[in-house]
Order: sequence, then C-alpha cells, then structure tokens
Amino acid sequence: MKNPSEEKKYMLDISQKEIEELRTTIRATSKKMTAEYIERMRKADKNRPEAMRYFDEIADFEKREKELLAAKESGKKVIGYMCLFAPIELILAADAIPVRVNSGWYDASKLGDRVVPVEVCPMVRSTIGAKMIGLSPYLELSDALISGLTCDGMTKLSEILSDYKPVWAMAVPRLKDSTQSLSFWREEMKTLMKQIEALTGNKITRSKLKSAIELTQRATKAFRRLQEIRKGNPVIMGRDAMLVNQAYMWDDIKRWTEKTEALCEALEERARQKSWACSPDTPRVMVTGTPMIWPDNWKVPSIIEEANPQGLLVADELCSSERLLYDPVGVDEWTMDDMLNAIAERYLMASTCPCFTSEDGNKDRVNWILNKVKEWKVNGVIYYVVRGCMLYAMEYMRVKKVLDRMSVPVYYLDTEYTREDVGPLKTRVEAFLEMLTARVDI
Amino acid sequence: MITAGVDLGTQSVKVVILKHGQVLARSKAFSGFDPARAAEQAFGQALRQAGISSSDVLHVTATGSGMDLASNANSTVSMMSADAKAGVYLFPTARTVVDVGAEEARAVKCDDKGVMVDFVVNERCAAGAGTFIEAMARALEVKLEEMGPLSLKAERASSINASCVIFGESDVVSLIHRQEPKPEIARAIFDAMADRISPMMHRLGITPDVVLVGGVAKDVGFVASLKRKLGIELLIPEYPEYAGALGAALVAVNRVKKV
Repeated sequence: MKNPSEEKKYMLDISQKEIEELRTTIRATSKKMTAEYIERMRKADKNRPEAMRYFDEIADFEKREKELLAAKESGKKVIGYMCLFAPIELILAADAIPVRVNSGWYDASKLGDRVVPVEVCPMVRSTIGAKMIGLSPYLELSDALISGLTCDGMTKLSEILSDYKPVWAMAVPRLKDSTQSLSFWREEMKTLMKQIEALTGNKITRSKLKSAIELTQRATKAFRRLQEIRKGNPVIMGRDAMLVNQAYMWDDIKRWTEKTEALCEALEERARQKSWACSPDTPRVMVTGTPMIWPDNWKVPSIIEEANPQGLLVADELCSSERLLYDPVGVDEWTMDDMLNAIAERYLMASTCPCFTSEDGNKDRVNWILNKVKEWKVNGVIYYVVRGCMLYAMEYMRVKKVLDRMSVPVYYLDTEYTREDVGPLKTRVEAFLEMLTARVDI
Repeated sequence: MITAGVDLGTQSVKVVILKHGQVLARSKAFSGFDPARAAEQAFGQALRQAGISSSDVLHVTATGSGMDLASNANSTVSMMSADAKAGVYLFPTARTVVDVGAEEARAVKCDDKGVMVDFVVNERCAAGAGTFIEAMARALEVKLEEMGPLSLKAERASSINASCVIFGESDVVSLIHRQEPKPEIARAIFDAMADRISPMMHRLGITPDVVLVGGVAKDVGFVASLKRKLGIELLIPEYPEYAGALGAALVAVNRVKKV
C-alpha cells in the first residue's frame, strides 16, 4: 500500500526510463527548433540590431536554468505562475524569483493526453506533459506555483499540478466591474502574500514592496517604449519584438529592463536612419487569441512574417506578449495599503483576459483591440485559437463583428500543438495577406 | 493574349488555357505521388487540345495546395482569390463562392470585380469535403457517381454525425445494421456534409448570389442537401472542378496587363 500522502490525485505513474528517454528526445528536438527559429529571425532582417543578440541567448532556457539553480543554492525561492494574475511585485518583495511556467512544447502535449482527454486545450495538456517528464526547468525549479483560476483548463491544471507542488490558487472574479470584486480580489492577494512570506521566510515590508513596484514600473516603461517604436515604420520584425516581450516571463527583471532599454536605443537610432526591417508597405498584422509560448509554439508568427506576400506583426493582444507588461502599477502614496490596492487594481482591472464578462460582455478586450488597430495602424487581425481554448474561441464572433464594422479584415486561424499543419496554415495566412495587400494584379 | 491557370489540388491537377478571356482548353490529371509531373502532363494535354505550344502562353499562374510545385508557373495565387475571380467571371452577380474539393471546403466573399474580401476554410477534418463521400460510398458498396442519384430516392431523412470521417463511417455502419435503406443512408451522408459546411458559411455571412464550385459541386446529392440546408439557390457552372484553374488563368491575364 502506498502512503496516502504520496497517492497522486491525477498523475499517472511513468517509469524513470521512459521519463529520461522522452525528456532527452523532446529537449533535443526543441533545442534544434529553437536554434532554427532564431536563425530564421536573424535572416529575416539584414540589419537586425546587435542588441537582439542578448534575447537570442536568453531564449535558450539552459542559460537561465543555471542562474536559477545558483540562486536556489544561495537560499532563494523560485515561484512559478501560470496566468497573469500572479502579482509579480509580491514575489519580488519577498526576495523570490518569479517565472512563468506555461508550456509551449508541442510534443509534451501528447503526453498530457494520458491524463486528460485530447479535447482539452493543448497548452494545458503540454504543461501536464512537461511536468510528467520534468521537461520545463522553470516548472521543475519552482518551489510553489501561483494559479489564477481563469479558464476551466487553468482551474483543473492547478489541481493536477498540486500532485507535485504547493499550488496557490487565486479565485479571479469574472465580473470585474462589481464593487465586491475588487475587495474580494484584494483579500485573495493578502492571502497570497502570507503564503509567499511563509515559504520564503521573508517579510514583505513597505520599503521592499516599494522597490519591487519601482522595478516593474521601470520594466513597463521599457516595454511600452518598445511597443511605441512599433507604431512607426518597421525597425524591428514582430517575431523579434515578441521574443523580447516573452523573455520577461523568465528573465531577471532588472537585467531584462536594461537590455530592452538598450534595444530601444538602437531601434530609435535605426528609425532616424530610415533603415527599415522590411518594406514599409508590408501589411501590418496584429494577432490576438490563445497565448503563443516559446520555444515550440512560434509557428504562427513565423508563418506570417515568412509568407508570400509577407506580413509584419506590429502588435498583439496576447497574454504571452503585450498583455504582460503594458499596464504599470499606479501608486499615489507609498503606504502599504495604497501599494497593495494599486497592485490589486492593476492585476484585475487592467486585464483583458476573456474569462471576464459584464453586461456588455468582455468590453475591455474589445476596446483594447480596437485601440490597438487604430494606434498601430493594423491592416488585418489574425485571431489565433488552439483547439479546446473555449473562451477565446467563443469570443471570436464578438470581436469579428466589431472589426467588420470598422472594415478591418479578421481571420480565424485554428490550430493545435503540432508542426504538421504548417502547410494548410500557410495557405490560409497567405490568402489573408493577399487580401490585405489588395493587389491590383488579382 | 493567351494565359494559363494550373490548380494543383489534393486529388487532381486541373489546367485551363484562356485566349482573350475565353476558355481554349481544359484538362485534368490525378495528382498521385508526383503532383509536379501530373501538372506537366495536364499542361501538355491542354496545349495539344488548344493546338498551341508552351511559348504561346504569356503567363502561367498556379494555385491549389501544391501550387509551389508547378515548375512552369510565373506566379501563384491563393485558392481563395482564384475561386473569387472565377466565380464572378462565370456569374457576374456572384458575391459568395463556395468551393468543395476533395479535402477541403471553403467559402469566399468577393466584390463585383471578383476580388476576395473575406473567407473561411473548414476545420482540419475532411468530413465536409469530397473524400468523405468516397469513404462512405465504400462503406455502402456503391459507386461514387451513384451516390448522388441514389440519395435523391430517399423518402425521408435519417442522420449521421459527421464530426469526422472515421466517426461518420461508424455511424453509417450502425445505420446499415439497423437495416436503413441505402438511399436514406446516402442522403444522410450528404446532409451531414451540408451540416458541416452551412455553419461555416453563416459565420462568413451569405451574400447572394452564391456560386458552388469544386469537384463535389457535380454531385447532385450534395447539391440537393446543401440547397435544402441553406434554403437558397446555388449557381453551378458547367465545369465546377475547373474553377480554381480558371481563376488562376484570369489572374494571369491581369498580371500580364500589369507588366
């Protein structure tokens, strides 16, 4: 008889031998693909700024894995998170390291199929699969996980992962406009704060929280500067910008900010010299929908920017990229209460996650998409959904209707965690881009 | 001016040669394992039929899922744009073109010049496309071309779930076990396909007139089911399977003019 405390609620037994074999092959495939993607990104832009090199390197998870291991040896705790409702500032204020653990590995999703049906969102299945074989260094190194209970997939994923680690679930109110919601959410945050303090043994003091907020405020500033640059003629390919944004999910935040500032410097200079990354006539595309997670799930941005006719990703509305950091924590007075309120507001009210609804539906997301279309001069929107991602799939018609009224073409691109459908996806994306260019020769 | 369109489809390659906007020749070959070779064969055949040589053709535009394989093509165009172009050429009042081929069904919205303005493609399963009929004809032990006429003899509607070809087949087997007559089963198969295609068209928005093209448009059984489902008239050209190639040949005309 197994000890009941070791009894897993969900996870299946898998032999050590199989674990090692799978981990080795999946890691090797992914490493090869990552290198290929980076190579293709380098080739896409002849005058790609030297400042991108840092992000190419940090894209290799092994580099950051070593740093995290060393930090852990020196007594630091690593706290993983899934959705963007985990207040990073609280983690930082307790001297712990935040890292996002959602999985982008295609092959790991097939392993997740052993635990949950194939109809479940592949990102969830892939995260389960990654855990089964210890594939993700960030998931493995996390001492605890913060899970925002947003969609059904995330809710059950936190239960499944609790077979391995402490999972601190935060109930996200789905009606953010109601007065109770924000006070409820503040309480959720306070509970989390105690959990973080207990795990790390560090008290979250006023001055530590202030420094943490200042750190993410500076990161937000750098982040916004980068997105602002993308409003103009192209000085950075969309995939490069997306990689920079996404690196925030695992990199050291202070260093990420410095490197992003340096990149922005180079890009602003490039704009002054009118050295464009691609023709300024290239149709400007925005993607929205299911998160696209490095390393494997880089398929769609690559197809868009390598298509014939070519597209340029100028903006996105994805929780794996531009939703990460756009909104700063706005503090009026640096009291503990005020800071906590500001953090709570920033994580709840500014979110455009499709888990929210109101009398007017998820109006914040719709308005934000419209705003982006205008400000980033978007010619067409690709609405990206992976099978099983219910909330994004269901919200499509709402977004399409609004975009139709503005005569902004939108295309629903559905796919899976697989490399095999690149051909049909390319055909669709190219037809869409062809439509955007409205070429006189058709 | 002579131009050509080559449509490298999943099951067959189609070629159309145009002279001054009129069709000079049409030919077809099975894609098989070597679609590039099939394209050359079909092209050669079309040239002979037209009584011209390849140097007479000013511009060749390829389309279809294998368009990059066409070695003699001067340019390519997406299947959706080709459909739109052909639909409006064949029926100037057309604003929606539905193309049901072997592996894919798609619907395209277009303007009065045949330029695509929006499109949808069926989800990754072939249950809404031609191969589904083939698989089901096998299950019923009926020749493919007999499926349509057979279905029209059905006295009532029974139903199967066409969420995928494989499940569809097991549903058909259950109907066989229930001793459902063949015409009823055949009709259920076409109804199931129409059930897959019509929601996709509603998502796009159905703007009349609607043209139906692609190889499956030749199947009277499918046409009857789709009409019933949509409650509208469908315009069907004489050679629906050549729409893609025709559209590509028309795009080629514009590309020559532009140069």
